[in-house]
Amino acid sequence: MSDWITITIDGKEIQAKPGELLTEAAARAGIHIPVFCSHPKLDPLGACRMCLVEMEGRRGKMLVTACTTPVNDGMVFYYNSERARDARAGTLELILANHPLDCPICDKGGECDLQDHAMRHGPGESHYWEPNRHKEKNYPLSDLIVLDQERCIVCWRCIRYLDEWEDKPQLGLFQRGADTVIDKFPGGDLDAYTSGNIIDICPVGALTNRLARFRFRPWVLEHTNSICTHCGMGCNLRIDTRDFRVRRNVARANEAVNETWICDKGRFANGFVFSQQRLTQPLARIDGELRPVSWPEAIQRVVDGLKRVAAKEGPAAVGGIGSAKLANEANYLLGKFMRALVGTNNVDFREGSSLKADPRGIPSIQAAREADLVVVMGSDPSEEMPVLANLLKRAAKRRGAPVIVIHPRRIELTKYPGVHFHPQPGDEPPLFDALTKATLQARGQAVPDWLAGAEVTDEVKEAATLLVNAQNPFIIYGTDYAWGYGSASIVQALTNWVVASGHGDRLGFLHAQANAVGAADVGLLPDMLPGHRPLSDAAARAELEALWGASIPTQPGLGYSGMIASALGRIKALYIMGADPVGEKPSYADHLKALEFLVVQDLFLTETAKLADVVLPAASYVESNGTFTSTERRVQAAPQAARAVGDSLPDWAILMHIARRYAPDKADFWRTASAPAVFEEITRAVPQYAGMSWEGLGETGQQWAWDALEVSRKLAPYAKLEPAPLEKPFTFRLITGNLLWDDGNTFAATERLAQLGHKAAWLHPDDAAGLDLSEGDLIAVRSREATLELPLHISRRVLPGTVFVPFSLKDAPVGELFDEFGPRTTVAVYRA
Amino acid sequence: MSVKDLVQGAEYIAKSMGVTLKTLVRESPVTVEYPDQPAAIYPRFRGRHELRRYENGMERCIGCALCEAACPTGAIYVLAAENDPDNPVSPGERYAEVYEVNLMRCIFCGDCERACPTEAIVLGHNFELAQYERVNLILDKEALLNPPTPNVIIRPDA
Repeated sequence: MSDWITITIDGKEIQAKPGELLTEAAARAGIHIPVFCSHPKLDPLGACRMCLVEMEGRRGKMLVTACTTPVNDGMVFYYNSERARDARAGTLELILANHPLDCPICDKGGECDLQDHAMRHGPGESHYWEPNRHKEKNYPLSDLIVLDQERCIVCWRCIRYLDEWEDKPQLGLFQRGADTVIDKFPGGDLDAYTSGNIIDICPVGALTNRLARFRFRPWVLEHTNSICTHCGMGCNLRIDTRDFRVRRNVARANEAVNETWICDKGRFANGFVFSQQRLTQPLARIDGELRPVSWPEAIQRVVDGLKRVAAKEGPAAVGGIGSAKLANEANYLLGKFMRALVGTNNVDFREGSSLKADPRGIPSIQAAREADLVVVMGSDPSEEMPVLANLLKRAAKRRGAPVIVIHPRRIELTKYPGVHFHPQPGDEPPLFDALTKATLQARGQAVPDWLAGAEVTDEVKEAATLLVNAQNPFIIYGTDYAWGYGSASIVQALTNWVVASGHGDRLGFLHAQANAVGAADVGLLPDMLPGHRPLSDAAARAELEALWGASIPTQPGLGYSGMIASALGRIKALYIMGADPVGEKPSYADHLKALEFLVVQDLFLTETAKLADVVLPAASYVESNGTFTSTERRVQAAPQAARAVGDSLPDWAILMHIARRYAPDKADFWRTASAPAVFEEITRAVPQYAGMSWEGLGETGQQWAWDALEVSRKLAPYAKLEPAPLEKPFTFRLITGNLLWDDGNTFAATERLAQLGHKAAWLHPDDAAGLDLSEGDLIAVRSREATLELPLHISRRVLPGTVFVPFSLKDAPVGELFDEFGPRTTVAVYRA
Repeated sequence: MSVKDLVQGAEYIAKSMGVTLKTLVRESPVTVEYPDQPAAIYPRFRGRHELRRYENGMERCIGCALCEAACPTGAIYVLAAENDPDNPVSPGERYAEVYEVNLMRCIFCGDCERACPTEAIVLGHNFELAQYERVNLILDKEALLNPPTPNVIIRPDA
């Protein structure tokens, strides 16, 4: 805004923007008016009266709340007048009248707004000698958050956060006057996925973190500005440690990404770092048993094993599997090791070549804040990326953006107006064809022959019109459509629709994993070199061969599932880093057992690691330096915050040791001695990262440009998708997907979280009634491949005729059910 | 050396020996037979730390770590935890799960005493701190709650 206005505070003229709040204008001039209820990310309310100032009005001076007063040209305020100071001191005295004097045991003590304001603005002594009112001191609001009603000063920040950002008003005010307390609504739960943010914004110690409670005083904590690696959002957080141990995670501001919010998984699920289950020393299989060995011996065994297989069966018999949860450095070095030293292109990760994803992720998270239409296809942001979901909810609720949802389940976003389609697995392409046809018709363009037969309903027409007319649509598709059988057809079909609407360049893929973009960027793909350059790209090959000091094989390698499937055939040795294929699909164990040599590098002794010949203990991202690339291509640094557990080493360091022992003659190309140095090498190997540096990433990361990588999107016909047959007894369509409260290794290690969520098979009430099943019954889900037994959860979020089994359940790995139709198979459901 | 000097020297020796001889017979000895007898100290003597309890047996310490914050040498380490409501260690919600004083670092300034809101940590009268092992100079909660009886008496003139 160009035109500034002038206001006067305490006789000093101050430039301000018209209409901004007095607190903001004053803060710019260095006058920090104390507030409790006001928060830059919440709507103004004026509940606490802490910010009283005098304003020159028509009838003389009057007290107003600075946090709710928009400024206008020529307004005159008195912040430091006696009356204003008295008013603020009086407010504090009243707030403190019933506030308990338990600062010594309060987790907020030391970073408490009330302490600070009382010292600076308080009266120093109280008129009140009567005993305090007593309320509930230990009142659990949920499994994660506890409320101390005595400490609460009723500023409403928590209530407003849940309402304005989560759109889940789960807390309210009860009673009147001095008896007012914050509480859940009768019969309701506090289960919003970002509820932990109310701990951060509570200005006093009323809301505290139940998992971290009493384990620290704020002044003893060491702060490390890091990021969260539970999903692809790349939220910025601060890891607070003491004695080299993680005490708590709190949100850190990054206006472009998470603003100041993080989800409860990022905040609470940090128990994996110091879990008792962590591997603390290398293990090697000696006489059929995994026994502790020294690092030099473990590395020698790895080198000998890989060399033996490569010499006997050829380099193509060796493969490397990385992980979208690990840093760029680890994935880059694994790719470099396999390609340059072993001489194979068999490198991939689970979400790698098998995912029909846009390698660039989504255009930007910022786009969600400006969206006038939200289109979500085959993804459930509420479960996969709650902080992004909040942005989408705000777009819908506050700016009235319609929401188009195309998903096999009734996901949370379907509560917003718009058009919602719930095609069953296999029915997606016809729906997208219809949308494409309606869109082309709406834009007056010719409809190609292969779309002529598509059936356009009123709803389809409405959705098509919405997208055609939108100026800034936020369009994403997710793993549910981009993975497994038929995904190529579905993704082409949905791309057709978006391209037809003219918004083709806005279509983004929501990567669910922290570093899925980065792992592909650094070339951990069987057919791609670093920088998304094909193996056949001669210039890229020459450049990398010079950097790596070795020639790169020309034959494309096998992908993730290809390598594991071929473990019964031509693959004889695998190096698995941070992946657990057996945990995902137990029958993979037979494949891995057939290998001559298996190395597993992980935090835990996973089901896969139990089969390994050598197990290498890795340090988690909290204990090592690394960079991660989020789904909006933002490269962010995650510096070391804690000392590594036991003898564990960072992934990049382990690979460096192995490489130097594997090829001593090439040691000159393996000299980098730190993760930032490895990142420096990455910036030379990956053109998109050129010019970046570890220091240059700073606190908020650096994004590589959306158009730094060409991805062609065209309207094109595709192979017809044959859905799995619905035949007796396989009468239900299987649906899979991610839940926030899953059971994965890094999540379940935080014991307090393990019981949250519905670790069950979900059925629609009508289907449950038809099968005479009730909530919690043990049911069997049987496919042509296998049977899973798990409890039943009845929910209207799933549609009749489908059964939803989430990913990553410990005792019921849904991968076991997949047959030739992969995750889009049909199953039988019956009482176990 | 003159004769005068010799005479004067003899006189001084006789005078001082007189004091010695007078004290030898007239007054009882001032030497404290420590450790056979207790040492006499002032009541505010600052010796080995103790953690105190309430009369009902509950620990006074609430694990607030203000002593740790006040300590100028970083000799104190406190890790607090949440009380089990059925079996509380201290009144209220919080208690010190770990409380350690490193006597090698402590300078016995008494700031911890002054910072303590519940008068839990006090500097006692025990000054017999010598140990053969360094590790024994780190007092844990067990040692702090059960201090040895000091071999001292309060000075009568205090």
